[in-house]
Amino acid sequence: MTTESTATATAHGHDADHGDGHHGHIHLQYQPGLPLTNGKLILWLFLSTEIMFFAGLIGTYIVLRFGAPVWPTTHEVHLVEPIGAFNTFVLICSSVTVVLALEASHRNNSSSAKGWIAATLVLGTVFLGVKMYEYNSKFSHGIYPQWPRSRIYERADIYYASAVRERLRDIRSELDAQREGGLSEEQENRYQFVSELYDEADSQGFDAAAFAHRVMPAHRTHSHEEPVEGTSDGLNEEYPWLKLPIVIPGGNLWASTYFLLTGFHALHVVVGLIVFGFMLTMSLGAASAGTIECAGLYWHFVDLVWIFLFPLLYLF
Amino acid sequence: MTDDSHPGPEPPPGNAKYIMVFVALCVLTAASFFTYSEGWPWKEHPEVGRTFMMAVSCTKAALVILFFMHLKYETGAWKYVLTIPAAMMSVFLVMALVPDVMLRGRRAAPEQFPNIPNPALAQPVDAAAEHPPAAAADHGEASH
Repeated sequence: MTTESTATATAHGHDADHGDGHHGHIHLQYQPGLPLTNGKLILWLFLSTEIMFFAGLIGTYIVLRFGAPVWPTTHEVHLVEPIGAFNTFVLICSSVTVVLALEASHRNNSSSAKGWIAATLVLGTVFLGVKMYEYNSKFSHGIYPQWPRSRIYERADIYYASAVRERLRDIRSELDAQREGGLSEEQENRYQFVSELYDEADSQGFDAAAFAHRVMPAHRTHSHEEPVEGTSDGLNEEYPWLKLPIVIPGGNLWASTYFLLTGFHALHVVVGLIVFGFMLTMSLGAASAGTIECAGLYWHFVDLVWIFLFPLLYLF
Repeated sequence: MTDDSHPGPEPPPGNAKYIMVFVALCVLTAASFFTYSEGWPWKEHPEVGRTFMMAVSCTKAALVILFFMHLKYETGAWKYVLTIPAAMMSVFLVMALVPDVMLRGRRAAPEQFPNIPNPALAQPVDAAAEHPPAAAADHGEASH
């Protein structure tokens, strides 16, 4: 620790600038144990625990990912690779703005440092905004990390068939309840459509796998590929109000790991943004260089984690 | 707390070097993304792309740590003490977990097949000695 200082005692009795009155005076010179400030040392210690934290999460993801019998394609889970690449670019830019703020602070240029910190704040907010957009696209397709919100089924079995019937029954009941007030033409059409689907799902020879394919066809391995001719994006895309259960083999494990990893990372981004927000209220001259450096170290680490998360989650 | 006479960190590299690192990081990100594009020649061998992406990610991480986090310009052994053990732990953690998940499905009784991670790679316990792995894989697929 820096407080555990070594003291070197030097006799300055014969120094030219000491008068006779200071003959034999002992000058104590304190040196820190480590050549860095207390704040930076604590930050680095914290970051080493963070390395272990994210190593645990990412390591477990890798093991689960490659040990899983089946893993969904990015298209199946509505993951768009260019969006991930854009977010990577945004975080890299934000790392640069932090180091530029630090440089400005070293030059005692407080207003310039504030400008760069504000830019970092904006870029971090953009990152979070994009992440929210991505989360929303998952949620709108019923991809949640946990039941009962999650509509993911691993296979088109009797449980899936039962869930389909239950959902169709619910829609029909809702429409029935509104019937007393009178149904619009559109609602009547919906009722007819849902009734037909329910009759199909309730029939003896109901093919759950074929139905699951109609709900969400898995005909593309990458989201940038064109849909296969003659196929649609599925009933849930065509009729968003249907919200039918979907079959994504490996989808539950994917959702758990994806939301856990990106969620913890986003949480770290939020903490960083709060810190930068506070820093905007300060004077960021040379005296604040240490503060900017510590906040920057944390922010670079957040960038570092995303550098690994992007290929692992989007491109593997 | 630092003293002027104590060997402190070297001065930071300056804006020009930061911009160079930024450009390098952007190029490396594009290189990672290239594995996803149609132009990537090893589409049939995903392990090539994955190895490439991890190499690129490690290079990017090194650039961020060395230049943006100024580790290149810090003096003293503390930087090694705080970073190398943690980094080693992250590698060993994955290595320690891999056998648990990857190998638990390599030998399995037929009734375990529906629950193991990679049935195609598994070898039935009873027939492990007689059958080569290819035959065992056929058995695994047949059990579904």
